[in-house]
Amino acid sequence: MVSLAKRCCAEITGTFLLVFFGAGAAAMTLMLARGTTPATPFNIGIGALGGLADWLAIGLAFGFALMASIYALGRVSGAHLNPAVTIALWVTRRFPGTDTGAYIVSQLIGGALASFIFAACAGMDAVTIGGLGATAPFPGITYGQAILAEAVGTFILVLAIMGAAVDERAPAGIAGMAIGLTLAGVITTTGNIAGASLNPARTFGPYLGDWLLGGANLWGYFPIYIIGPVLGAVVAAFVYDYLWK
Amino acid sequence: MKCYICAKEGRSTDAVAICIVCGMGTCMEHTIRQELDVWEGGYPFPAHKVGTTIPRMLCPDCAAALRKG
Repeated sequence: MVSLAKRCCAEITGTFLLVFFGAGAAAMTLMLARGTTPATPFNIGIGALGGLADWLAIGLAFGFALMASIYALGRVSGAHLNPAVTIALWVTRRFPGTDTGAYIVSQLIGGALASFIFAACAGMDAVTIGGLGATAPFPGITYGQAILAEAVGTFILVLAIMGAAVDERAPAGIAGMAIGLTLAGVITTTGNIAGASLNPARTFGPYLGDWLLGGANLWGYFPIYIIGPVLGAVVAAFVYDYLWK
Repeated sequence: MKCYICAKEGRSTDAVAICIVCGMGTCMEHTIRQELDVWEGGYPFPAHKVGTTIPRMLCPDCAAALRKG
């Protein structure tokens, strides 16, 4: 196994790719939809151009980035790229607790770097209009509903990880594609509820970028994207173990 | 079986191995033994090298070709 430092570099790189391309796609959609009149108050811009196809495009951007990261970095660090996944593997005793903190910090750094570099590439409109692809509950969605949506979405994602990758009976080589497409599907369906983050690091990067670059201060929503994903991931890991053991 | 390379040089030497790539019989002098690392694991766990290696016998030509990629 390579050193913890190299594995942390791999986690930073993979989370960077995920947030740069995935959250970047959300920011870009909002920038493209600027000036359009939403058909419903539930629509904040994503969905104004192509309805649910907007969310499918964002979901596929996330899915392809995750797929590429899994195939490129999976053997180096395990390509968790998500604190909720790392915690779920740790609490089910599949991942050492001594490495868990370093992985989570690396994932947060990768997410933050992605947001700052996306802002540098796309300009300040990416912050003021696109919000760097930050997630927040959509109009009419309560705090509790947002946590539930994030928990359900992460439950499905981690269940797919358990079945397609963790389980040694899983067919070899399909994990990246299966998990990437699962993420795309979850985002397409639940994106318009609370953004379908499913990943504290994916939300942390845009929040930090927005906050430091003059965009919105959304930190009040951050607990949604910690509690929901971690809860969903841990429950999924235990449910999978219960079903098979 | 005799060593193919020695036979081409006009000598008759007993073969002690067969190249796993081309099937050529080779004597001790012309046999190259390589030890291949074995890796276990992978997504979502870091892969790690296991303690044992897998040996393989090659003739000089195949060993050179594999080195060049």
